[in-house]
Amino acid sequence: MDLFFQTLVNGLLIGGIYIAVAAGFTLCFGVLHVIDFAVGEWVMLGAFAVFWLNFFTGVDPLIFLPLIMVLFMIVGYYFQPLLQRVITNQQSNALLMALAFTFGMSILFRGSALTLFGFNQRSLTTFLSGKNFEILGISIPALRFGATVFAVLVTLLFMFLLYKTKLGLAVRAAAERQDVAGLMGIDSSNIARIVYAIYLGLTAMSGTFLGSIFSVHPDMGLRYTLFAFFVVVAGGLGSIQGAILAGIMLGLINSFVAVYVGGQYIFLILFTVLYLILLVAPKGILGKGW
Amino acid sequence: MEYVDNSQKRNLIWIALLVIVATVIPFAISSFWLRIVTGVLMWIGLAQSWNILAGYMGYVSFGHGAFFGLGAYVTAIAMSLGVHFIISALIAGVFTAAFAAIIGYPTLRLQGAYFAIATWAFAEAIRQIVLVLPFTGGAYGMRLPPMLNENFFYYMMLLTIIGTVAIAYYLMHKAKFGLKVKAIREEEIAANVLGLDVTRIKISVFALSAFFPGILGGIYAYWITYIHPDSVLAPVIADQMVVMTMLGGLGTIAGPIIGAVVLFMGNRLLWVFWGDTSFYLVLVGLAVALVILFLPSGLVSLVPRLGKKDKPKVDDQPNSSVTEHTK
Repeated sequence: MDLFFQTLVNGLLIGGIYIAVAAGFTLCFGVLHVIDFAVGEWVMLGAFAVFWLNFFTGVDPLIFLPLIMVLFMIVGYYFQPLLQRVITNQQSNALLMALAFTFGMSILFRGSALTLFGFNQRSLTTFLSGKNFEILGISIPALRFGATVFAVLVTLLFMFLLYKTKLGLAVRAAAERQDVAGLMGIDSSNIARIVYAIYLGLTAMSGTFLGSIFSVHPDMGLRYTLFAFFVVVAGGLGSIQGAILAGIMLGLINSFVAVYVGGQYIFLILFTVLYLILLVAPKGILGKGW
Repeated sequence: MEYVDNSQKRNLIWIALLVIVATVIPFAISSFWLRIVTGVLMWIGLAQSWNILAGYMGYVSFGHGAFFGLGAYVTAIAMSLGVHFIISALIAGVFTAAFAAIIGYPTLRLQGAYFAIATWAFAEAIRQIVLVLPFTGGAYGMRLPPMLNENFFYYMMLLTIIGTVAIAYYLMHKAKFGLKVKAIREEEIAANVLGLDVTRIKISVFALSAFFPGILGGIYAYWITYIHPDSVLAPVIADQMVVMTMLGGLGTIAGPIIGAVVLFMGNRLLWVFWGDTSFYLVLVGLAVALVILFLPSGLVSLVPRLGKKDKPKVDDQPNSSVTEHTK
């Protein structure tokens, strides 16, 4: 029974980070209508950015979190127009093109990382690494705990931004109908850039955490792209509440499969679950997606 | 035959010349180059199969490599049971087509990004199944009886590729079926309202686009004689199918052919000069991004005569259709 609760806690503790990825990802889809295939690669780039900062300065990786977020938000703000150019490309299959474009970006990022950094795995050591504390006989890894709490807080902050501020209202309006929002005086192209910036900031932050909990290597992205898809599709594309629920679910599935079934089956099981969800409830587990 | 105009006559002459050249190639070049040319042929077939699905029906699959790998494994298993190679490869094709039909029935209900994700996840799952199944050898893979006859594989590939391209051309450009498929690409709901059995058409196209990769996978397995999940089920196979087609030009017959030749030759040249390098991925990624940004209709659009065949009509309302499609 101890093992069961330990697994449960581990699952919940990793789910928080997936929520951060999923929230940004789903918002990005909601406004841009583009599935970013490179999401895992952005996670990877975030992890590598922290790794190199830590490598050259020796300062604890977690100190760099705000810097990484700001850095990637700037990158996102200036990268988005490129993506926008593909989306508004006057062709009937513009969406397909955008999908393929991010797909190309993901290959590019992975290839560049492999070429520059090689295939070996690196690890990030933070001041929380290796520390545990115990509650009711269940040991809680400090790093996972801190990461999840931080990720959830940032996500909440960002939900507050989305639902309680004027900027958030503009974002939601743009997600609803971009052209009508434009007619109401919302600068929707700027909104799209801001959303993409937020998305990249959240993703890179998660990359820092995931890199320090697991390891940093150029091929790590693939896994997280699949996870992000799982969360977003299971929660219903565009539904943030659904994504949060699905993020926790993903964390739980991950940890239970790893303990009770075996880590090599994880994609198989995720795929089966995803498939069933798509067939039974194509709008996501809460029925709120599109 | 009906009336044949001059340009068609000229095309026929070109095709006849190409076939003759292709037939004598093995006697004219070294076995090193023959292997490369055989590889080019294989990729033409794979890219063209993907193009049937994505270019003509507008369903982007990011997991099409799975059918190639399945074909390779089915052939390997059949041959280990003593079935003749050609029959094994045909079994592989039929198996992958049937498999695609079964998988496609639920999956094809999804559209756009959902479909892309589902196929991608599907391919990952197949790779994992193959890794754990008892009769596929797991991560160690399978060995096939060796056969050291490069010419044989060249002709097998050539035959399959001629079949693939001819069938794709006939179905998508000549037969009524192609019009139905394109109707689904342009506006699926309208196609349905007009009385097309959309589900059946989609499943047949999906099965067709899985049939050829199955056979090609089989030939590849026998050619390489050793397969394992990371060679025939690697994600890079699906990646390359997508990239080649995008590079050459989506929804054209010439596009995937040009894309496959350019990309595969580039790959091999890189390999000759620098060995197996991950820098290739950088080039592939850059190529896709640049082509989509600056040449969305692919390389074929540089040669107007080849590209004009099936260029999707330019939308006159730029943004509104984009938002509608995703709902």
